Amino acid sequence: MVYTLAREGTTRWLDKLLEAGEVIAPVRGPCGDVIFSALRSPAQVVWDFENPLPPPKQFVLPQTDPLVKIKLHGQRHEVEPIYDDAPRTLFNVRSCDVKGIAFLTRMHEAEPADASYLRRAHNLTLISLACTTPCPAGFCTCTDSGPFLSAGYDVQLTDLGGSFLVEVGSEKGEAAIARAPDLFQKASEDAVTQRQGLEAAAKTHFGPETCHFGSAMRRVSTGRVQDALWEKMTDWCLECGGCNMVCPTCYCFSVKDLPQDGAWVRCRMWDSCQYTAFTLEASGHNPRANRKERMKRRFFHKVSAQYYTRDSTVGCVGCGRCVKTCLGSTHMPAVVAAIRKGKWHE
Amino acid sequence: MNDVFLPEIACLEKVRDETPDTKTFTLRFRDHPNGNGFHFLPGQFLELSVFGCGEAPFCIASSPTRPGTFETTVRRTGQLTDQLHKLANGDEVGIRGPFGNGFNVQAARGKDMLFVAGGIGLPPLRSLIWNVLDERDRFGKVTILYGARTPHDLVYKDELEEWKKRSDVELLVTVDVAEHDWTGNVGVVPILFQKVTLHPESTLAYVCGPPIMIRFVVRDLLNRGFKEESVISTLERMMQCGIGKCNHCAIGHRYVCRDGPVFNYREIAELVE
Amino acid sequence: MIPVPTACPFCACGCGFYLLANQGGLVGVAPSETHPVSLGSLCARGWSAHEAALWGNRLKQPRVNRNGKLQPVSWDEALDHVAGRIKELIDAAKPVGVLGSARATNEENYLAGKLARAGLQTNNLDFSYHSICGPLLKGLEDVCGEQTPSLSLNDIESSQMILLVEGDLATTHPRAASAVMAAVEKGAQLITIAHTATQMSRLASLLLPAIPGKEGEVIDGLLAAVLNLGLEDRAAVEARCEGYDALRRDLEGAKLTAEMRQAAQWVAQATRATFLIPPVSGEGNPSRKEAAAFATLAAVTGHLGKPGSGLLPLLARSNVRGACDMGIAPDRLPGYRPLDDQDAQQRLQDLWGKKLPSSPGLDAENIVQSVSALIVLADDPPSDLPMGHRAMAALEKIDYLVTLDAFLTPTALMADVVLPIASFAETEGTVTSMEGRVQRLHTAVDSPGEARPGWQVLAELCARFDLCTGYHAASDVLSEVGRATPKYARAGQSEDKWGGIGTAKASNDGKFRLFVAEAPRQAPAEGAHVLVRDGTFDWGRDPLVSFSPTLCRDYQSQRKLFPNGFVEMCKQDADGVGVHPGRPVKLTSVYGNAVVPLRVRTDLKPGLLLVPFAFRDHLANVLGTHSVTAVKVEQA
Repeated sequence: MVYTLAREGTTRWLDKLLEAGEVIAPVRGPCGDVIFSALRSPAQVVWDFENPLPPPKQFVLPQTDPLVKIKLHGQRHEVEPIYDDAPRTLFNVRSCDVKGIAFLTRMHEAEPADASYLRRAHNLTLISLACTTPCPAGFCTCTDSGPFLSAGYDVQLTDLGGSFLVEVGSEKGEAAIARAPDLFQKASEDAVTQRQGLEAAAKTHFGPETCHFGSAMRRVSTGRVQDALWEKMTDWCLECGGCNMVCPTCYCFSVKDLPQDGAWVRCRMWDSCQYTAFTLEASGHNPRANRKERMKRRFFHKVSAQYYTRDSTVGCVGCGRCVKTCLGSTHMPAVVAAIRKGKWHE
Repeated sequence: MNDVFLPEIACLEKVRDETPDTKTFTLRFRDHPNGNGFHFLPGQFLELSVFGCGEAPFCIASSPTRPGTFETTVRRTGQLTDQLHKLANGDEVGIRGPFGNGFNVQAARGKDMLFVAGGIGLPPLRSLIWNVLDERDRFGKVTILYGARTPHDLVYKDELEEWKKRSDVELLVTVDVAEHDWTGNVGVVPILFQKVTLHPESTLAYVCGPPIMIRFVVRDLLNRGFKEESVISTLERMMQCGIGKCNHCAIGHRYVCRDGPVFNYREIAELVE
Repeated sequence: MIPVPTACPFCACGCGFYLLANQGGLVGVAPSETHPVSLGSLCARGWSAHEAALWGNRLKQPRVNRNGKLQPVSWDEALDHVAGRIKELIDAAKPVGVLGSARATNEENYLAGKLARAGLQTNNLDFSYHSICGPLLKGLEDVCGEQTPSLSLNDIESSQMILLVEGDLATTHPRAASAVMAAVEKGAQLITIAHTATQMSRLASLLLPAIPGKEGEVIDGLLAAVLNLGLEDRAAVEARCEGYDALRRDLEGAKLTAEMRQAAQWVAQATRATFLIPPVSGEGNPSRKEAAAFATLAAVTGHLGKPGSGLLPLLARSNVRGACDMGIAPDRLPGYRPLDDQDAQQRLQDLWGKKLPSSPGLDAENIVQSVSALIVLADDPPSDLPMGHRAMAALEKIDYLVTLDAFLTPTALMADVVLPIASFAETEGTVTSMEGRVQRLHTAVDSPGEARPGWQVLAELCARFDLCTGYHAASDVLSEVGRATPKYARAGQSEDKWGGIGTAKASNDGKFRLFVAEAPRQAPAEGAHVLVRDGTFDWGRDPLVSFSPTLCRDYQSQRKLFPNGFVEMCKQDADGVGVHPGRPVKLTSVYGNAVVPLRVRTDLKPGLLLVPFAFRDHLANVLGTHSVTAVKVEQA
């Protein structure tokens, strides 16, 4: 179903959504950064900004994620899962982030399914705003994750000027609309046409130098990237792990038990395959002791045909966050270009 | 939807010293003493929690043909195993699993079984060995070649005696360095090949042990005409979740915890590092 | 989850980020694009900054040693005990001391200094890392006077030439390395003075090899090349420098190579140039002279005091500069003023209402070995002092050891009184980066147990020594700091959305005094071996790393794999002595001998043996109290 929503209607809709649970949206903090935060009031929502650097994956996969509580009564241990099935709405996210969360959900649905993740994901409704003016660092057209989505969203909004076009893509989306049904009118044909026009226009914003995943994928998958090239590139990497932390589709983690008031809380924590000790075994052996092996591993996971076949998508949503956060200069577009050309910095 | 991170509580029922730094732990689930619902294949592993220390993967060393309890043999290498070695009968640990693909026991029926193990490589094979011996008439010839650095480092010393006495098992043991009253073979495991007759076309070879031993043994087997698909081993990697999600054990697009730890040599050759 | 802006507690680059917390406690970290230093990035340590506070072995309860056991007590009891016992020891004319910290806030350090000087009437005041960075800072002071040289990381990015005395910048200061990389990508010439192959040296246009402790030879060579080729900035020399003629004389006979000449050209011809120097391995005095010569090079090429150019001392930890500015040194007052600076002395005496002790006190190494009572603020001498394990033994002998810390460090384990304080995530306060930027910490979560903000605890101790306190917030302490030294007069005001502010710069018209490094000119004997203790900061023992599950893995594994430490040498040397990698080798010097496993490194020159700072204890007998010594190498 496709509707329109008057611009002023968003405030009342948000009020209704807030009654039903937590609403997270881009909010400008005192230091000027726009960050996804839980709303206290609809007025906090920011509309004119580039995508917040911290991705919204923290709402389905927090950086420190308590999974299980283990208590000790005398000599006897009791184990209980930690549930987080609070209803949440992510409001005013972008297409790339919707795709990112869909990717994470598919990863965690794969057998054996991760109930902890899925509890959060199944109770999360995504209301996204299609990008009519794509961001400078993004390359979502290369990864089929924007600027507009044709499927895979709960509710997709398009800014038509005085109103929003509202495309409903799932049951959760229907439920969100149903919170304030009087705000939504059936969309006119003109409105739908306008939306198509905006999408076509948005796509023209992407320059000719797009990401060329295809050719990089071929080389990565058949081992045709020279070791010497990886070696050269790693000299421009500072192993900060930032690319993993800000990436909407990265989900590597470690598990550790946190002592807390006489009990333990087993937590999942974000980790990075770029860290030296990521593959370090108890014996001291490290199969990826060299940085070039770790970088090779990262891009194999993100860009290889083997993974593409397994996941039906490349491990990137073109959001451009790694470009912004990379301490060195080895972000996704730079490395993919280097793989394609067979050269770095030449 | 199971909570795959939720451990079950198991109690230590028996602890046996194998070598100065290796012990075998016999475990029974505290709340399911008959082991109901706990089905595993030889070659699968568990994530064992020593509460207060953490969790680590250990292969199941006992056979599913003997339900109720299950066993794991652990060498002391770090903080967690240190703590585990200090536990006594009745103490509780956490168990998640079983994880991994395990050995394909069905496909092995009717075949001759060759087990080649070095040092701490015998425990993962022991699960399959006992499975085979408990269903002896379903399998062909059973040959076990086992070696360790010194006689003290041999694990399952009592069982080795038992297997030696069986007429339906051929067992040869060697040590790198003889000590005291050792009268058996001396030398690395590959030397035992000269003492057995092998039929590569009808035999599955299971190899487990230190990487260097595996390398020489596998080369030997392939030279003798074994097909790559008939040479089977287990891979080790740093693991955390055990369910193919944390990515620590990923090799290419395969996960040692989920697509392995059992792989044949054709599969190992195809793994993209 | 509410994002709370704060400053990074690790290195001195001065990054900032948001701590994320919910009712359960700290959850993680979010980067900031508006932060003027971080600009959307963080290093591996920054990304895990929340972990130590969350996972670490936290001190939660004040404790006092009663009959050999640490008993939990109330805060008042603990503080009364400290004041009482220390007064007893002072009355009995026993020496007492205070150690501040490169990891404590300015407010905490300032109050520790006030307690020591005005309360305990002693100048036995220092911080462990000062023994490492002190010579560097003094050397720069010899040239620049009051004006601490500085340079912003953003200026580095637009430099045309970067001269780096290399420890391992990519590991010690990733954000600075990022700026260097950005400059090189734009075409800047990177020149490294180094003894091993590090990431920065692989990116360099020119490598000037130097044995650790002998970087001065290279620096003198560069100075000589500049003068020889007439490349000095005549206008700058005439207007701003003193001692030029003496410099020329001292450089006669300096060895020049083609590389030095090339480097000198690049240094002199750059419009915007960056000079980076960490504390180098080497003894105090030569290190000081090397630093002075390095600053001299910047001065004579006109790059000191010139917008866009400059020199940055690469201090390892988040608040080294702040600790110095708070006067945490036996011969310094707040503002890093010399002890005998009459104006500074008077200002403090007026402010604190007490006469101050006038003779210089003991430095950190001597404090731990001499005092009867010691108050340690968030410092860990055995980890940071070059004397390593010997500091452990010394601390054990101290009659009365009081620790203020958030974490259970080796020092805290030996304390007679434990005063638990807040970690960086749980307190208000400021830290000063190596650029001189004063940044704010903000409270993201409550401290565990009974732990309190460090400034509050120190204020209570000060009160028990009859000093005025009456601070209601950390900002009150900062205001007082502003009255104690003009350098911090503006520190309470915000310059940007992140609340950071530069320290007041002294007037820009002082003269630069010029010096050579005067490194000994003789070449080492043929086949001689030299053992060097690597000066690169050892993060592995820092509680913020050792208590972080993500960060500690690599360091712990190295210690586990090498429980007896190791010494590194090139293959040629290993073959020469006939010892295989991993096997033990015996090293003998005039101070003693030791046996350690050997490791081969392909990037070491023959004759150079290296021991990482982390493993210095295993070679304590060989090195003595030195960082460089000649050794004989043989089979064990």
